[in-house]
Amino acid sequence: MKYRLFGILFILFFLAWQTLDGLVEGDWGRLEGGLSNLAVFFEESMWPPNWSVLEARSYPVCEQDLEFFCSVGYLGMMETLKIAFVSTILGFIGAISLSSLAARNLMPLYISLPVRIFLSAVRSLPSLIWAILFVIVIGFGPLSGVLAMTFYTVGYLGKLQYEVFEGMPNDPLEAGRAMGLSRPSIVMNIVIPENSNHLLSQLMFMFEYNVRHGTVIGIVGAGGIGYYINTYLKFLQYDKVFALLILIFIVVVLIDLLSLAVRSFVNEEGDVRKPTWLNMLIQARKRRSKSGDIA
Amino acid sequence: MSEEVILSLNGLVIGYDHPLVKPITLDVHAGEIIAILGPSGIGKTTLIRTIAGLVRPLDGNFSLHVQRRGSLGYIPQRLGLVRHATVAHNVSLGARLSVGWSRTMFKDRKERTYEAIRTLGIEEKASEPVRRLSGGQQRRVATARTLAQRPRLMLADEFLGELDQTNVDIVLGAVHELVEDGTAVIMVEHHEDNAMDFATRIWEIQDGHFADMSVEEWTLSQPKGEEE
Repeated sequence: MKYRLFGILFILFFLAWQTLDGLVEGDWGRLEGGLSNLAVFFEESMWPPNWSVLEARSYPVCEQDLEFFCSVGYLGMMETLKIAFVSTILGFIGAISLSSLAARNLMPLYISLPVRIFLSAVRSLPSLIWAILFVIVIGFGPLSGVLAMTFYTVGYLGKLQYEVFEGMPNDPLEAGRAMGLSRPSIVMNIVIPENSNHLLSQLMFMFEYNVRHGTVIGIVGAGGIGYYINTYLKFLQYDKVFALLILIFIVVVLIDLLSLAVRSFVNEEGDVRKPTWLNMLIQARKRRSKSGDIA
Repeated sequence: MSEEVILSLNGLVIGYDHPLVKPITLDVHAGEIIAILGPSGIGKTTLIRTIAGLVRPLDGNFSLHVQRRGSLGYIPQRLGLVRHATVAHNVSLGARLSVGWSRTMFKDRKERTYEAIRTLGIEEKASEPVRRLSGGQQRRVATARTLAQRPRLMLADEFLGELDQTNVDIVLGAVHELVEDGTAVIMVEHHEDNAMDFATRIWEIQDGHFADMSVEEWTLSQPKGEEE
């Protein structure tokens, strides 16, 4: 069994290698100088990162006590986070309304099929293309970013949600239907509570995804930190770009940690526990005192 | 039992692809408790599901002589509870149907929910998610949901299966409360002894034949060796 798995992996690797060779048309010479080029580029243009991106901009005049709050890094990152937050929430609301119409176990085919096609159409355009579209239609700025990411979130999250709904056990739905609950009532009181842990998990994932993609859509002028990255790239200020990339990396790691903490409240035996801030603090303190005991 | 007819089956033929039982024609009156008996896979669940409106009849029809919405309580074999939601939420689904639109609607719903929870003795578990409860406790939640709904017709599929005597007593106590208010009950039951204890009428499905009889008639129809 182990050898068979290795055999399959080897064949897949061989096929991938052959395909790649076909793609580069056998011209592997380009790779030769690649590493040294990267080393030179990194040393001469990127290193050290230029942390002036965390200092106040020269214009407009900073009125904050701490210069950091007027910096390109902070302002850009906050705008990206705000765009991601708003579009995740709006997208979630849109997605949940549509996904309950798209699920085959909740709606007849003549409703679910058109909604599914709509969701596929929305999803087939990446957020970057949506961003370009909205920049053309309503101009540069965060509103284009919010709309672009909201549309993409609806398409992407909608699919994840209706697949979860279709996988749920049938008996609560049948009980609700036989009892005479209306369709909206079944969705609100049976479907959403039964799948709440999945929905929350998907919501956190989507927020993280939108923060990461918020940087990309900024490049086409849809606001956020990507706008500044694009400006620095145009002026060949790679050291500043590098500093902003490090900042993005730190924020993504922090969101990942936050998402892990939130999901830990819903993952316990798959139960939904509604955490309160007080609960979180008490548990954190308990955990600390426990580890103190061990020490 | 009153003379009020709750449900009429008019030449009803049940089944998915082919008929499972010969056409059934009969009336169900308010206050009756009917136990459906018969071997596994013979069509008992299909009959319940057809009356619940979840399976289309192959032929014939049935008429519910009470308002359709909210008058039919249904407890499927796997209970149909929202396992990730709390006990109170599940029970309130029933209360949602029995309380009409009014200014005191939310207060009334809450009162009815907790009244049912208290009757079934699960008030300590009211804010627990259902999936943390034992099988017996979950059955009590499903019963409380129906009690809060106060339906005119209650359908239950293998409702008492694997319950200990204490839970059987509690659950049947609640069912009798409903019956006293004029609810008709139709239950699929595997244990004939249980059926004898609570039923007022027996529907027996055997080899594609359907028989509707009183408990006494059913007892007499049983071979003597099996009765002991």
